Amino acid sequence: MTGLQLVNGLASLLIVTSLLVIEARGAAQSALYYALQSLVLVLVFLALAATVDAPRLFAWAAIAFVTKVVLVPAIMYRTLGRMSDPTLAPRRFGLAWTIIFAAAVVAVCFAVVSAIHLPGAATLKPALAISLAHFFLGLTCIVIQRNLLKQVFGFCLMENGSHLTLALMANQAPELVEIGLVTDAIFAVVVMVIIATMIRAKLQTLDVGQLTSLRG
Amino acid sequence: MTPSALLVVLLLAPVAGMAIAFLASLSGGKRAAVVAETAHVVAVAAVAAIALALAASVLTDGNVLAVGSWLYLDPFAAILVALIGLIALLTGVYSLGYIRHDLAAGTIGTAQLCRYYGFFDLFVFTMLWTVTANDIVMMWVGIEATTLGSAFLVGFYGQRASLEAAWKYVIICAIGVAFGLYGTMLVYAEAARVLPDPGEASRWTFVVGHAAAFDPGVMRLAFVFVLIGFGTKAGLFPMHAWLPDAHSEAPSPVSALLSGVLVNCALFVLIRYSAIVTPATGAGLPQTLFLVLGALSIAVGSLLIFVQTDIKRLLAYSTTENVGLIVLGFGIGGELGVAAAILHMINHSFTKTLMFCGTGNILMKYGTRDVRAIKGLAALAPATGAMLIAGALALCGIPPFNIFVSEFMLVIAGLRAGYGWLMVLCLLLLTATLAALLRFIGGSLLGARPQGARPGEVGTLALAPMLILLAVVVMLGVAVPQPVTRLVQGATGVILRSTPATAAVAAPWQPSWRQQPN
Repeated sequence: MTGLQLVNGLASLLIVTSLLVIEARGAAQSALYYALQSLVLVLVFLALAATVDAPRLFAWAAIAFVTKVVLVPAIMYRTLGRMSDPTLAPRRFGLAWTIIFAAAVVAVCFAVVSAIHLPGAATLKPALAISLAHFFLGLTCIVIQRNLLKQVFGFCLMENGSHLTLALMANQAPELVEIGLVTDAIFAVVVMVIIATMIRAKLQTLDVGQLTSLRG
Repeated sequence: MTPSALLVVLLLAPVAGMAIAFLASLSGGKRAAVVAETAHVVAVAAVAAIALALAASVLTDGNVLAVGSWLYLDPFAAILVALIGLIALLTGVYSLGYIRHDLAAGTIGTAQLCRYYGFFDLFVFTMLWTVTANDIVMMWVGIEATTLGSAFLVGFYGQRASLEAAWKYVIICAIGVAFGLYGTMLVYAEAARVLPDPGEASRWTFVVGHAAAFDPGVMRLAFVFVLIGFGTKAGLFPMHAWLPDAHSEAPSPVSALLSGVLVNCALFVLIRYSAIVTPATGAGLPQTLFLVLGALSIAVGSLLIFVQTDIKRLLAYSTTENVGLIVLGFGIGGELGVAAAILHMINHSFTKTLMFCGTGNILMKYGTRDVRAIKGLAALAPATGAMLIAGALALCGIPPFNIFVSEFMLVIAGLRAGYGWLMVLCLLLLTATLAALLRFIGGSLLGARPQGARPGEVGTLALAPMLILLAVVVMLGVAVPQPVTRLVQGATGVILRSTPATAAVAAPWQPSWRQQPN
């Protein structure tokens, strides 16, 4: 197996882990699956670093391991694991539909990426398509899920997708750029978790459908 | 101190204010409130003073680079820095009376008061970071950080509606800005391919210099992503859903910051990107998208203003409308169109801040934002009433107030560029705004004072910043001062990648219109 095949193969594993995050029953379980997914992302970074001669990606992998495999999942596991809303159905669509939808998103992203002339990243188009699909799966998770916590995970999936795109297309960027992006992502999750906690305490619900006092 | 060093101090000042305020929040008590307030006032005063000094320095000595080439100030950035500095100072001082009122009413405690100033200064820092960053990724980081810095200010009161607004704000902006990141990455990847030194591929000053060699297809795609991303943060239709909620639920001084300067920061980044994209794709794509989204934002903003009963939501939709006008100016293009858009950014910023401060006084006086319950303000609190009437007339685009000048320039630019039908449509839509604001003046500001209400103003700390704002609104409406004209002309040159513009940045009765051929 060549390095590029390894990168593209590992990237496709991200889609599987995304489905696990989306379909997991509770927030604690989603947090664990998110840690697993981030570990796959770290492996993609390492494979990519060795394959395309981008030594900065080793540092990116280390930063991503500390923040996304350990720190963010730990915060979510501890904080969100305690929060639940028994009145809230876990999802709007069944597992089969989610898989079909994910497959469709991946197919569309492959078609889109194939059609675009990308002089700098021609050999990494499969991984690029998957990173884009990952981004849109996260967006879909935010749109279709009624649970506030699932929306936070949707954001995390979007963020992992764009992080992979960044590694594929902008791996020469200084470490400071990577640190800035990751720091922002961590703070975004922390802010979302705090506001979700405040909403749970005030409204006794995690249902986005109950947030209806502002209209018009 | 050199301008480069000043630029660094500009960023450090609000960080220091924030740190002291957050530390004070840990101890609580009356003394903590005094410490947080003092640190906050010193910080925003320092920011305003340094911002104005830097703007003057850009005018006299040229652009400023600092910390390697991570920070950059040209006339366009200098306008934004000066706006953030002045609006932060005025709303920062206004906050003293407003937040003390909340403390006295028992709505918040001392620790929360300290946290307010901590988050306020953090928010100011993130906006300054965004507009002084020379690195395109750091601009993105800055925009994302503005959301995170201000989310707790939106949800400050912890009520059902404010928490809901904070959630929508964070989620919608996080999604939107994630699109912006994709655009950023596409530009970076293309720049890394073209630039001789890939290490410079994220620096705007280097990227924009090589932009003509970029692949047009990649740049078109990048611009669509960037427009969705930063357009969301700017409150452009159809990505504006968070704006009326966040702007109405935040404390009034924060609403002023959100409406007056935050949307300008997002527009600033958007225009920075259009300067990169245009040499590769030609001006057609960015200008067409700006024209379409600008006109739609004006239409939606104007029509929804008319049905609002919440005064702060009304003003929030007016922001969407004015953002539409600004974007329309960039869409019309040419020296006059771009200069009109930049001047409108300045004018809207001061006028909307005046109005949101005025609604803060209304809230302190009446305890409601419902225009149906607000009656006879001018009789009850004449100074606030008079200043709000002037602000509302300014928002209507009536002379001799500032908004008239930039709208006049915009319409002339549109007519000269052959968009006569679009200008007529926009002017018709603006009549809906005029009607809504005149109804607000007639129904809530004028008329007899309500039975049993105690007459009197809400305090000097609330009135003084409004008076200064009104003075600026009138000053910019009567005759645009020379330094403002020169900065706008310089910024127009930056955006059009040419020498400083010669377009008349002036009221129609100023001599510039007769002297310049335009």
